[in-house]
Amino acid sequence: MNGEIEEIIQVENLRKKYGAIKAVDGISFTVKRGEIFGFLGPNGAGKTTTINILCTLNQPSSGVVYINNYNVVAHPDKVRSFIGLVFQDVTLDDHLTAEENLYLHAMLYGISRKDFTQRKIEVLKICELWDWRKHKVHDFSGGMKRRLEIARSLIAQPKILFLDEPTIGLDPQTRKKVWDYIFNIRKKKDITIFLTTQYLNEAESCDRVAIIDHGKIIASDTPENLKKMVGGDIITIKTEDNDSAEEEFHQKFPQYNIKKIGKELKIEIDKGNEFLPVLVENLNAKIISMELRRPTLEDVFLELTGRQIRENDNGHIETESPLFDLSSLFTLFNPSHNHDKKTKSQ
Amino acid sequence: MIKKPNLNKLSGIFILWYREILMYVRNRIKFFSSIFLPILFLIFFGTGLKTIFPLVTLPYDFAEFFFPGILGLSVTTMALSSTMSIVWDREFGFLKEILVSPVPRSHIALGKILGAATTGLIEGFLLLLAAPYLGINFSLKLFLGGLAIIFLIAYGMASLGICLTARMKRTESFSFILQLIIAPMVFLSGAFFPINNSPAWMVNLSKYNPLTYGINSLRWVVLSQTLKPTIISQLTTNNFITSLGILISFDILITVLAIQLFRKMC
Repeated sequence: MNGEIEEIIQVENLRKKYGAIKAVDGISFTVKRGEIFGFLGPNGAGKTTTINILCTLNQPSSGVVYINNYNVVAHPDKVRSFIGLVFQDVTLDDHLTAEENLYLHAMLYGISRKDFTQRKIEVLKICELWDWRKHKVHDFSGGMKRRLEIARSLIAQPKILFLDEPTIGLDPQTRKKVWDYIFNIRKKKDITIFLTTQYLNEAESCDRVAIIDHGKIIASDTPENLKKMVGGDIITIKTEDNDSAEEEFHQKFPQYNIKKIGKELKIEIDKGNEFLPVLVENLNAKIISMELRRPTLEDVFLELTGRQIRENDNGHIETESPLFDLSSLFTLFNPSHNHDKKTKSQ
Repeated sequence: MIKKPNLNKLSGIFILWYREILMYVRNRIKFFSSIFLPILFLIFFGTGLKTIFPLVTLPYDFAEFFFPGILGLSVTTMALSSTMSIVWDREFGFLKEILVSPVPRSHIALGKILGAATTGLIEGFLLLLAAPYLGINFSLKLFLGGLAIIFLIAYGMASLGICLTARMKRTESFSFILQLIIAPMVFLSGAFFPINNSPAWMVNLSKYNPLTYGINSLRWVVLSQTLKPTIISQLTTNNFITSLGILISFDILITVLAIQLFRKMC
């Protein structure tokens, strides 16, 4: 009857306060059936609070949330019956084996024994834990636990899968595997995936992304459209004296935007490939390295949060490092990216 | 087919009970210590205390008095400490997995209560098997009656445990609270000494102690074949019917309270 609405998640003006702290400050968004929807933001932005409210674990202070047309406050049991969850922290029972954890889950969701036996094989094989099914979870590594949790969340064949930082703390290979798996299940099953992440490259794989900061959604669109907000290309240069280089750039190219991000200067430009030689020719400052690239969600995030920081400061970013240095965060979690930059700079 | 949704819901209670039992059996140290500790109590404490009493001419054997007390103590401790699994689950995350499942909160609480009560029942069962060696005579009927009382005590204590877990976030603090609860409750229940002969303030306090009625009921049932009713009444504060009635009422009230608190805390 109401099972086939287009917008499977509807959130309107959702707020959650803890005393004076506004963890979620009036957010609204919708998620379409079959979509992979990403919630991108730094730690403490309100991602987990939002996900907890969406999956009935937490009560909103105000606002309404409909999951598959059911109000989460009025019909929590109903909502729980068609959602699957993977939390940020491990929620497996250490004392039990992998198989027993799956069995408990199946029982909690009222899955028949026959269905369970069938699905158990399927999910354990996809997550490559079949050989470990008789082992206690206590002996598992972090990656194995995460894979088992994803397998478990699929046992009940949920309509919506909530993943709260599904790949946090995993090595790059396992992360890739988890993502392959997520795409795979999305393709095979009629399932909507809502995930939170602080990895920008993961957010790029989503169909749509909402960027959340300080409890507010500051942008929400497809990754492509978000990147268009930044403009054509990004040039980052590193000079021996960034301050004077910035000053010089302002004088010579007042029409372009230059920002100091960490130890680099970032220029947003429409046709970067044409501007690069002009820049090299006209800039007297000694350049150590230069990089031309397409904007990433990282740039979008800096653009959006950067604007907030600059509000008090007449168009200049403060010389201290930004509050959320996502670029360093990025390199921290993705060593290959760091490596790329280094090789380019040589 | 019509009853299917009900069955599904009951399976939630069952699975939580099942997990509780699984945890109990898997935890071998807990399992064995829970069996041996009361036996040690019986052997050493019982024998030791007996040496004080031979001068006093009692119409009953000390072991007969002491046994139901130890039984009550063991069952209480076991049932209460089993509810620690909720705090444990909260601390290590598994509680979330249970809470987002479609199983209603009340069924989760009931499953936990029944699971913890069952661990108490198992312990009581094993101790009861040892009773004949202490000179307490049994018929099968009495044995089953004893088990029923043990279950009622274990159930009430497990529910009490659930109430206590409401605000507990750490297992350490919970075990501390448990000791604070168990000690006065056991001392004021007449488990170790007949409460009748105690000062009035203790007698008054013991009236508000649910365990008093549990131990009373146990004595009435377990000793009924060994001792005369007039002697048993010296060891208890109330007659059997009153004791049992209060015990059952306590179980019902505390269940309602436990479910309410469990709903609130999640």
